[in-house]
Amino acid sequence: MFPHPRLARHILRLRLVGLTAVTVAVLAACTGSTADAPRPVNAAPSSVAGDTDDFGMPVPTDARYAARVVSLNPTTTELLFALGVDSLLVGRSRWDTFPRAAQRVPAVGDGIRPNVEAIVAVRPTLVLVYATPENRAAVEALARAGIRTMALRVDRLEQWHQMVQRLGIALGVEATAGLVRDSVQRTLDRVRAATASLTERPRVVWPVWDTPPMVIGAGSYLDELLTIAGATNVFHDRAEPSLTVSMEEIVRRAPDRVIVSAQQAAAFRTRPGWQALPAVREGRFVMENPDLTGRPSVTMGMAAVQLAKALHPQLADRLP
Amino acid sequence: MKHRMPSSLTVIGVLGAVLLVLAAILSLAFGAVRFDVDVMFAALAGTATPEAVTIIRDLRAPRVVLAALVGAALAMSGGALQGTMRNPLAEPYLLGVSGGAAVGAVIVMALGASAPLWITGAAFLGAAIATVLVTLLAHLSGARGDTRVLIMAGVVVGAFANAVILVALADAPPDRIRGALWWMMGSAADATWGSVVRTAAALLVLGGAILWRARDLDVLALGTEPAAALGVDVDRVARQLFLIGSWLAAATVAAAGLIGFVGLVVPNIARALGARHHRGMLWVSALLGALLLVLADLLARTVRAPAELPLGAITALIGVPFFLMRLRRSTAS
Repeated sequence: MFPHPRLARHILRLRLVGLTAVTVAVLAACTGSTADAPRPVNAAPSSVAGDTDDFGMPVPTDARYAARVVSLNPTTTELLFALGVDSLLVGRSRWDTFPRAAQRVPAVGDGIRPNVEAIVAVRPTLVLVYATPENRAAVEALARAGIRTMALRVDRLEQWHQMVQRLGIALGVEATAGLVRDSVQRTLDRVRAATASLTERPRVVWPVWDTPPMVIGAGSYLDELLTIAGATNVFHDRAEPSLTVSMEEIVRRAPDRVIVSAQQAAAFRTRPGWQALPAVREGRFVMENPDLTGRPSVTMGMAAVQLAKALHPQLADRLP
Repeated sequence: MKHRMPSSLTVIGVLGAVLLVLAAILSLAFGAVRFDVDVMFAALAGTATPEAVTIIRDLRAPRVVLAALVGAALAMSGGALQGTMRNPLAEPYLLGVSGGAAVGAVIVMALGASAPLWITGAAFLGAAIATVLVTLLAHLSGARGDTRVLIMAGVVVGAFANAVILVALADAPPDRIRGALWWMMGSAADATWGSVVRTAAALLVLGGAILWRARDLDVLALGTEPAAALGVDVDRVARQLFLIGSWLAAATVAAAGLIGFVGLVVPNIARALGARHHRGMLWVSALLGALLLVLADLLARTVRAPAELPLGAITALIGVPFFLMRLRRSTAS
């Protein structure tokens, strides 16, 4: 484990909630399975009547249910603040701590297998949950209590755009939602343009957990951010958002560099298993900022800028 | 002394029932959200705030009732298995029967089935297969009546069941794996009135059948030869009651996952309280089992609220020291 396991776990947990909702990585570890494949995304943003959430329930087509909102997913909680409708929030999960102001909203427990009693007690009109099979029982119980839910899952950029639009409609801030989407997209486009001319794109690995090694696959927005920032994910051929792999497989794919947070770097340097990887032995790390990359959020534009600068310092003056 | 037994059992029964009602009231009032007892009764009557009514009636009440039913079923199942094996350490979890039920349920879940009927049916089948395996293992070793061999066979079958579950889940997405693991630790959190009705039906039919055959268990307790001398087909009766007891355990697995040691602890307590005949012992066990699991579930959802502890972990924390104590006594004798 990392030298500061509590903080490391906390950061990882936030990120994993955004990716595959692995709240307890140890559980995934003891089964050694691979992550699930991303669901195909509707290319055209769909928000008209007949649109459904990721549990197949119809999504609100106006702001009828927007009075009191409980958000049980760090991604949607942060987005409510970005959309300026945080005053609607009457509850959050205990993992939703971004932005700092979110910590003033009462926590109602976990976001996966949430405590339905605690949610009902804050009298919400709309509950936003992470779409994982484990949350189905809670969604059904809330439906029996007459409370509207939206189950959303965001692994890829396109899903994030779709989520922003859906929530903009459901919360009565469609115009703001459009602005937020455009601003993120414009930043990403500028980074993409700056890295387009690169002849050399470093091959990188992005570990999200050290024992057993879990890495980012093509199903994650982080893989997309890497591509935009001018790098190639060595696990880009894997469709999962994140997957458990053997150390041998990482060594075989011979990444030039390893993406880590400043805090993780020291741990990877001293961790015996990871010493097998030349990039780790030789300290070829690329520093990322977990505050920017931790969730698919409005900070994704800045995350791409930061990654591009870390990967290609020579591009600094051409980046936003 | 002997003529006083029934009356002391009646006293215990009445006392147990009163305690169960008190525990249920406590369980309805306490949880992630705390209510005063008068608010709780108003919510039951439907006159409190809508949130309170929803929390008490739709979320908490089915959970409390399910915990009571599962506790009663596990205790009766343990009582029946102990009777058929003439072994006070027998219980569905230790004998691998619950593990077998879990294998059946997890396999159909991994295949994508979520209908309660499928899961229950698969749990029954898994329990039956595990039952056959355990008795076969014990039989092959040539020491069917030996406590240690039986428990060894049960633990081995349970470990095998665990392995089968992990292999079956190897390719499942992580959220489904976590769901299955959570369920393998036991929980009444997902109780609905539907699961209450299914469990109640199983308890009524299978628990009723065990009570109906309680006299056979008394005869078996005399020993194989005296029982045969009394005209009882020992093997057949033992086999039937073992299967009925296993199925009762399987019904609890389908409703609330794996919860161990209730079937071990409770019948032993019932016997210690003076229940000599199986009918009285099974009644008292059902009552005390319900009481134990209602209290364990109350602990599970209040100790670290709003997070929950796995119910199976709490019963194991209570049950393992008890098991060790009982094991010492039975090896000493």
